Amino acid sequence: MNKDQLKMTLTRIFKKIFDDQSISLSNEMTASDIDNWDSLSHMLLISEIEDVFSIKFKLKELNKLKNVGILIETIFNKIT
Amino acid sequence: MSFSNSVIAPIIHNIINFPRNNAFYINDVFYNYEEFGKEISKIREKIKSLDTNSEFIGLIVNDDLQTYAAIISIWLEGKAYIPIHPNQPFKRNKKIIEQIGLKIILDSNKKPIFSGYSIINLNELKFKKNLLTFNKKISDEKILYILFTSGSTGNPKGVKINRKNISSFFDSFWSSGIKINQTDNCLQSFDLTFDVSLQSFLAPLIKGACVFTVPHNEIKFSYVFGLLEDHKISFGVIVPSLLRFLRPYFNEIILPKMKTCIITAEACSLELAMDWMKCIPNSKIYNYYGPTEATIYCTYYKLRKNENREINGMLSIGKPMKNVKAIIVDKNNRILPKGKKGELCLSGDQITPGYWKNSEKNKSSFFIKSYKGLNLRFYSTGDICSIEKDNLILLYGRLDSQIKIQGYRIEIGEIEFHSREFLKKINTIVIPFEKKQNTELAIFIESKKVDKKIFFNYLKTKLPLYMIPSKIFLLDLLPLNPNGKIDKIKLKKIIINSD
Repeated sequence: MNKDQLKMTLTRIFKKIFDDQSISLSNEMTASDIDNWDSLSHMLLISEIEDVFSIKFKLKELNKLKNVGILIETIFNKIT
Repeated sequence: MSFSNSVIAPIIHNIINFPRNNAFYINDVFYNYEEFGKEISKIREKIKSLDTNSEFIGLIVNDDLQTYAAIISIWLEGKAYIPIHPNQPFKRNKKIIEQIGLKIILDSNKKPIFSGYSIINLNELKFKKNLLTFNKKISDEKILYILFTSGSTGNPKGVKINRKNISSFFDSFWSSGIKINQTDNCLQSFDLTFDVSLQSFLAPLIKGACVFTVPHNEIKFSYVFGLLEDHKISFGVIVPSLLRFLRPYFNEIILPKMKTCIITAEACSLELAMDWMKCIPNSKIYNYYGPTEATIYCTYYKLRKNENREINGMLSIGKPMKNVKAIIVDKNNRILPKGKKGELCLSGDQITPGYWKNSEKNKSSFFIKSYKGLNLRFYSTGDICSIEKDNLILLYGRLDSQIKIQGYRIEIGEIEFHSREFLKKINTIVIPFEKKQNTELAIFIESKKVDKKIFFNYLKTKLPLYMIPSKIFLLDLLPLNPNGKIDKIKLKKIIINSD
């Protein structure tokens, strides 16, 4: 999977979790850009990402996910 | 000791004598006590210049230095602040503003979030000179803040807290064995509309330590972990729901620098607290309990490494703090003997002078009773508790959660206890609801992977049939309210919508 494909899959996950079909991901996007992105939805998001990509995050990695770009990089490094 | 001597004087002392020490870490930036003092002075000068007799000032509670400084400035002027949360619905905020009749609102947003009120933009103020003197003669009966909690009528109800309440609280707090010094890094993870926030930032400022805050737009549990680890937080106040978020990662967490950890705001399971203890091997852990009406906390329990007091798997709330008297009463406010369950009622200087313009609630929530030869004013907490022979208090749940089903009086905590035994570490809660004038029970489980049939079969081996919930909901996560407690109102809506 290349980064574009990864971003497409991730977009699908975001649309599902935040129940918003208009979401379009950009690297700079943060929790404050999406309605209802709080601790609860974050946990749902992380667990969906873990299921879909068959990966597991460490707490230290979660803490460093400052924006969508870093999230994409972190997932990419785990699946390649 | 007066509020001026116990809270204001030490904070001003720290600003003047330790200007270079860090006072706050907000949004990745440190601010020292001198900078804090300058912000206080700027805002105070503005308040002084206002042509108003109003005792109350609205404050949009952002996560920034100006907001914290504004609280101290308002107090230095002998006034009270009314916190208004920028992320709460506008209509709710409007109700609060109108209830108090606020004339002036302070806002540190670059673009003020309200219009139509007299807004003072804290960003536009310029520092001229230090204004840090304080008047020791301000009466301790004066109000410091009014916090609004949800009211059953849909109108938020305001709890007034005065200077005596807070000074009495801190006297109690330090007497319970809490120690903070200038080298401590202290966590402040609460919204300023919730009273635990006051303990979380005032205690460090009184002792000259540094307060680490959590920005509103951050994912709280992950940001808090970052602070705990990267900044070696040594004093932290945490809600059980935050620990539940961190729990899947407990095996990665080791925080040897943590000295004191307070768990508060909702009942905590013994098992969760004991697992957390392994992550903070050098820390004391306390479970503090208290309604807003009794000023932040009023009872505390210090965890032991081995055996601990619990009921239905939930930690004891311990014994009353120094300035609090606790009794257990029956329906007619008669004091019950040790070991008997009833309503917990509290007395002492920490108890609120009353609700804001709410004579009905003021009548129903407080009563005068003769206790040990004194006529004391008690506050009815609505919590079912017992005081045991060892003087420790056990909390069974809310009075409104003690319900009758088919004529049997049942305790929801008991159902939750057996459910947790089966579900291991999965979070669960039981909510009563009315159906065709009957009370029934719904159970919410924080996992979609539970086999309902096996679960119910297990419960049937532990509980009588009338205690088995009639509805079960499996959710990925239980919703939380802004204070980090499980949001029972949202859960009730789920039950209603399921019919």
